[in-house]
Amino acid sequence: MNLMFPLLAVSKNADFLNSIGKIYVVVIVIIVLFAGIVTFLFRLDRKITQLENQIKNNE
Amino acid sequence: MNVKKHWWKILGVAIVGYTLVAGLIVPLKPGIISVSHKSANAGDSLRIEVIGYNTHFEGGKEDLKLWLKGDTTFFIQGQDVMIADENTLEVTFVIPALLPFDRSVVELSLLIYNGIDGPFILPSAIFITHSPGSAGVQIGGWMKKIDLEIGSSRMAFPFRNILKETIRNTYFHVPLWFTMIFILIGSVFNALKYLRTGAIIYDEKSSAYATVGLLFGILGLLTGAVWAKNTWGAYWSFDIKQNMTAIALLIYFAYFVLRGSLEESTQKGKVSAVYNIFAFATLIPLLYIIPRLTDSLHPGAGGNPAFGGEDLDNTMRMVFYPAIIGWTLLAYWMGNLLHRAQTLKNKILFQ
Repeated sequence: MNLMFPLLAVSKNADFLNSIGKIYVVVIVIIVLFAGIVTFLFRLDRKITQLENQIKNNE
Repeated sequence: MNVKKHWWKILGVAIVGYTLVAGLIVPLKPGIISVSHKSANAGDSLRIEVIGYNTHFEGGKEDLKLWLKGDTTFFIQGQDVMIADENTLEVTFVIPALLPFDRSVVELSLLIYNGIDGPFILPSAIFITHSPGSAGVQIGGWMKKIDLEIGSSRMAFPFRNILKETIRNTYFHVPLWFTMIFILIGSVFNALKYLRTGAIIYDEKSSAYATVGLLFGILGLLTGAVWAKNTWGAYWSFDIKQNMTAIALLIYFAYFVLRGSLEESTQKGKVSAVYNIFAFATLIPLLYIIPRLTDSLHPGAGGNPAFGGEDLDNTMRMVFYPAIIGWTLLAYWMGNLLHRAQTLKNKILFQ
């Protein structure tokens, strides 16, 4: 479980998050932000793939 | 790629890259994390352990000095300093039997100075109990003045207890909300344009910008929850700012439900443009007015101004303001991509 979801394991370990002046909280915030942008990209990619397939079918 | 046409995309990426690097590598100023004793009685000789952050107790020990500070004119200097390492030391304060204050409990701040770190302070470090009533009596044991050399300060972000390094989230959480507001303003602008002209392109633009705005709102809420967990103590504290923000985002969710439920494009455009204006009009009071009227943990709410004083100093401004510009450019780019894909889809459908 912890191997599959390292972030979950991290958030349960308060000592780790409180180490080095809580810098890992900043790391998680940046990961969340990055994940959000990537999700957007994947959805846009899917949308464009559908369009490409439709054009192919029309031809 | 035509650089003349795409310069703003490159600029956006460059600015966000700069804020990631600068926001992470600039160190924090030295600060005091804790003292081993929080209270004492007047007349005590108090030995405390002080734990600092980013301090140089060992390296700057030649001119290291510590004081307990009552107000701007009453100081006690620390004695017998024993340095354990760069961030840990022990010091003795001999508290005078008489305190020059009328209150029975007096808060003293701990002030530390050395040549490398400059001066730094822990407010309300130690509480002294004494019997007041000696006001006006000549009181000994207190220094009236200290000599401090405020040297050149290197580039560093402010040290805040509890926040510590997470003060850097100011560059990765707060700009998301500014971006959301700017992109939603773009959405409302296009909704108004649609109502005036009836051209479908403005409705599509409006919807694409609203999608990106909502994405940034959700990301702002999630990053805020992670930050809150490690500073306020819970992901969701049912704080007024959090609750009102959640309501505002739900109102925007309903915008997409509404759009999805309407088939005919003129009707869809008109209804969703009007709803968009309504949603934006409720967003501003929900995010920025209601949270200010009551108590909140969030800076910028509950009579607690966020962008004044030491919450955002000039060093932070050099990263924070570019972050807003950079993320807004990226969001605009994302919105345009979405809009272009949507336009293509419509072209294929109506062929």
